[in-house]
Amino acid sequence: MISLGLRTLFAKEIRRFMRVPGQTLLSPLVTTTLYFLVFGYSLGGRLREVEGVPYARFIVPGLVTLGVITNAYLNAASSLFVMKIQGTIIDVLVSPLSYGEILAGFVGAAVVRGLIVGGVMWFVAGVFGGFHLAHPLLAIALVLLAAISFSALGLLTAIWAATFEQVNFFPTFFITPLTFLGGVFYSVQMLPGPLRSLTLANPIFYMVDGVRYGMLGRSDAPPWTGAALLVGLSLASLSAAYGVLRAGYKLRG
Amino acid sequence: MQPVVQIRGLEKRFGALAALDGVDLDVRAGEIFALLGPNGAGKTTLISIVAGLLRASAGEVRVLGKDVVRDYQATRRAVGLVPQEINFDPFFTVEETLRIQAGYFGVALSEARLAEILEALDLTAKRRTNSRALSGGMKRRLLIGKALVHDPKVLFLDEPTAGVDVELRRSLWTYVRTLRERGTTIVLTTHYLEEAEELADRVGVIDGGRLLVLEETEALLRRHGQKRLRLALASAIPALPPALKAHGARLEPGGEAVVFEVSGGDAFGPILAAVADAGLAIRDLETRRTTLEDVFVQLVSAERAEDRP
Repeated sequence: MISLGLRTLFAKEIRRFMRVPGQTLLSPLVTTTLYFLVFGYSLGGRLREVEGVPYARFIVPGLVTLGVITNAYLNAASSLFVMKIQGTIIDVLVSPLSYGEILAGFVGAAVVRGLIVGGVMWFVAGVFGGFHLAHPLLAIALVLLAAISFSALGLLTAIWAATFEQVNFFPTFFITPLTFLGGVFYSVQMLPGPLRSLTLANPIFYMVDGVRYGMLGRSDAPPWTGAALLVGLSLASLSAAYGVLRAGYKLRG
Repeated sequence: MQPVVQIRGLEKRFGALAALDGVDLDVRAGEIFALLGPNGAGKTTLISIVAGLLRASAGEVRVLGKDVVRDYQATRRAVGLVPQEINFDPFFTVEETLRIQAGYFGVALSEARLAEILEALDLTAKRRTNSRALSGGMKRRLLIGKALVHDPKVLFLDEPTAGVDVELRRSLWTYVRTLRERGTTIVLTTHYLEEAEELADRVGVIDGGRLLVLEETEALLRRHGQKRLRLALASAIPALPPALKAHGARLEPGGEAVVFEVSGGDAFGPILAAVADAGLAIRDLETRRTTLEDVFVQLVSAERAEDRP
């Protein structure tokens, strides 16, 4: 049974981002719509198809993945970090919430925000390029795992970070570049040798590729590679976040 | 009766700095206990360890007989903490803030209990106001409300009246006494020694992470305190009558006033009788009792002098 404490933390975190929808939900929606318009239609007019898939549809899984992981990460990271700065983290730390409940509350709410943004992005893309889900359960499962992984990573960053700059370091220098270079806008088959090898060494490529298989039914690598990677990353990031909360690292002196 | 809080050999180190250096302390059920000490003495560190905000380097802390690390959920349900620094979440109103805090403790705040807390802290009119829009004093009262939502057995108030105006300070004191009457044990740290003297049944003086003194407030004042009586004379006298010398009197330069200093427990009656017998006419009378502040300064200075090489 889910405790009242966990339900309270989860609901409070949801209310927090729902109170600033322009910043937390609308802003990523506008950015993604611009991606679809600029890349999907202007570039799509030239490329037309990638591996037999219309280009405007080809980029949807990558952009949805980018939206989900960025928002899941940012929600957990900014919420906990702001609580640290405001001092309201004390309210949680002095409460009898267990370490698992604190983890579940923050990660759960961040996953919800990631999924809302991802879902709306998928819907907008569908309006432009048609709705298509080849393997719906797999697509949803992979997106969910990506959201869980990056929420937990966001929580870890917020616990460690001492400045806003450190909170933004990970999405700016890792998530966005690795996602853009992870086959969001192109198939790895289109790349020359060295760049292809580089892409194949990028873990986010396998996430995007797995989600693409779930949504479009095609992938460059075996789709289970992305699934296995996401299961591994989820377990590792959740375990690390739980361990850090339990140890009290940075939060309890 | 089992102490509400039991602390044994408590140590907390931040690198080379020993913020707490082997503190032993029992807080008794139903008392108001004041923990006094200069800045950096270790007061907040000690409170933070009991409340679960910090982990101890060594030693043991129990609340209602349960270990604050092993049985942290049980001990945190028994503890309420009003932190020193004001904090507030600008996303929520006063009512939402209190309901959320109660929820963290697994308590569904009833309308009656919510109204009672708001009324007691004079926040009823601000119930639906965003916490960002509250004045400093109101934010501090909201902190107290947050610490009370789960009806804790022991309430820690870390500098509760810092930066608070006199009127609010007096009303908070009254509320603290009300809480104690209802059975809540109170532990407070304060820089206002007058506050500790007014409220506390017992005081502990801490400095350099060590507990220097632990005593009933009255007993401490009696033991370390002195009373001073200054008699302004109707006309100056050239020398002190011998009968008054026996009472330890001192004549002020100019011969216009006589000063007596006696220990806290001594009465002034025999002194006044001796003054009358000596035929001195009194123009004015002034008494002063050693305050807790005087005792505190005395104790901390003595400790620091001992530590000096």
